[in-house]
Amino acid sequence: MASLKDKYAIVGVGHSALGKVPELSDYGLQVMAVKAALDDAGLTKNDVDAVITHSHLLGAVRVHHQNLSERLGIDTAFGVSLSAGGATSCLMVQVAAAAIEAGFCKTVLCVHGDKGATRKTPGRGEGGGEFGPEYGLYGAAGQHAFGLTRHMHEYGTTHDHMGAIAVACRKHAQLNPVAAMQADMTLEDYHNSRWIVWPFHLFDCCLRSDGAAAVIVTSAERARDMKQKPVHVMGMGRANNSRGYIHGDHMTELGAKESGAHAFAMAGLTPKDIDTAQIYDCFTYILMATLEDYGFCKKGEGGPFVSGGRIELGGELPTNTSGGMLSECYIEGMLQIVEGVRQLRGECGPRQVKDAETAIISGNGGNAVCHSTLILRN
Amino acid sequence: MSDYAKPIPTPSEDSQPYWEAARNHELKLQQCAACSAFRFPPAAVCSECTSDAYEWKPVSGKARVFSFVIYHRAYHPGFKEELPYVVAVIELDEGPRMLSNVIGCKPEEVRCDMPVEVAFEDITDEMTLPKFRPA
Ligand SMILES: [Zn+2]
Repeated sequence: MASLKDKYAIVGVGHSALGKVPELSDYGLQVMAVKAALDDAGLTKNDVDAVITHSHLLGAVRVHHQNLSERLGIDTAFGVSLSAGGATSCLMVQVAAAAIEAGFCKTVLCVHGDKGATRKTPGRGEGGGEFGPEYGLYGAAGQHAFGLTRHMHEYGTTHDHMGAIAVACRKHAQLNPVAAMQADMTLEDYHNSRWIVWPFHLFDCCLRSDGAAAVIVTSAERARDMKQKPVHVMGMGRANNSRGYIHGDHMTELGAKESGAHAFAMAGLTPKDIDTAQIYDCFTYILMATLEDYGFCKKGEGGPFVSGGRIELGGELPTNTSGGMLSECYIEGMLQIVEGVRQLRGECGPRQVKDAETAIISGNGGNAVCHSTLILRN
Repeated sequence: MSDYAKPIPTPSEDSQPYWEAARNHELKLQQCAACSAFRFPPAAVCSECTSDAYEWKPVSGKARVFSFVIYHRAYHPGFKEELPYVVAVIELDEGPRMLSNVIGCKPEEVRCDMPVEVAFEDITDEMTLPKFRPA
């Protein structure tokens, strides 16, 4: 099959109000994100013929692309809800490109978001299960933390390294008016933040947020005549460590390795060619491990790599320039795509990466099993 | 023991024999009849060769801590009094890994690759949890 390199483009991005949005429902947040993305693209809902959503919302009677399309008042040629946890974000863009390539549809809305902060969620630990809850394994933090413990053991990675990531994201958030976390954070503040699940401090963990984001994908050919300068999809990758996070070396070598290799091969680029990285930072450790697995440094050298300002604005690889999920807002990686697109359009004001031409975006989910990668260019 | 406040495992069709063995203070895993691999979690086919022929076999209970975390926050009220507690990825000498608790030492004494052995904890009249202590 011919390469899809540069054949598809992101022509619109948008998000709802972020942070705490008690007045909107889950779908309310999603439709507001869609409105913003359509405006951004200069399109109306009738210009869209496909909807892809994340099937994350639990308990819905119908799958979510139906619910969202109903609220938008559109029939679709193609609709599907995906479930790959935090890898769904970048995977939606890839499925969109594949669906257009297959002739299923022409212009695709990719949408995700919910009330992570203000919805009253059912208490954890209720209901059945085995091989986890009875031993007190709850929440994403515990699972992801196994990886950092092992990484520290094998490579000498330290909390100073994790702190460098948290501080970098916070500095970037302070340049982003919609970011939730605006207070100063020093390395000392990081060390003083309370333990959640050792080796994770509170400041190793991403935010819980309300919010939704939408991304519109169409062919590069159609994109040429649209309102925004198109952001092209150069590379796409995905891979799942689905034998399990605790299997083999999966907790220290994520699906990012294979996913990133696919994306770089398709794009014909190497890590040296990347101007900015927007990495799925559910936890500091996952950001570091992803950069290693993408080849920005050798496995085990991620700690020193993220230190000394290298991943900050002005550094060699400005990373999570919006503040990321650690300091901007959660939305399971959707805002990583939004920020990557905005950087490549040069819209980021005080946090703009100068002359940014290429961006790598990651999604990582299913408790660090599923991974997806996009390489974008302007 | 009826006032046990933590979650009690709900065995599946696949795992019933595992929990029955644990009740008798035996650690048993499925061993593939075709390729001899032990597997965990319990499943109808071998995770190496997909054979559906197997036998439940006792294993040594000898293991090492592959990785671990220390909970400082109780996500379930039943664990509140136990904070801080250790959840570990245990690698059995026979190969498979499983989640469990490391008991019998302080959380700060646990290390990756530390040798451990199984210790059974009867939590109700019907249910016993395999845990691990320093060997
Ligand atoms: Zn077998």
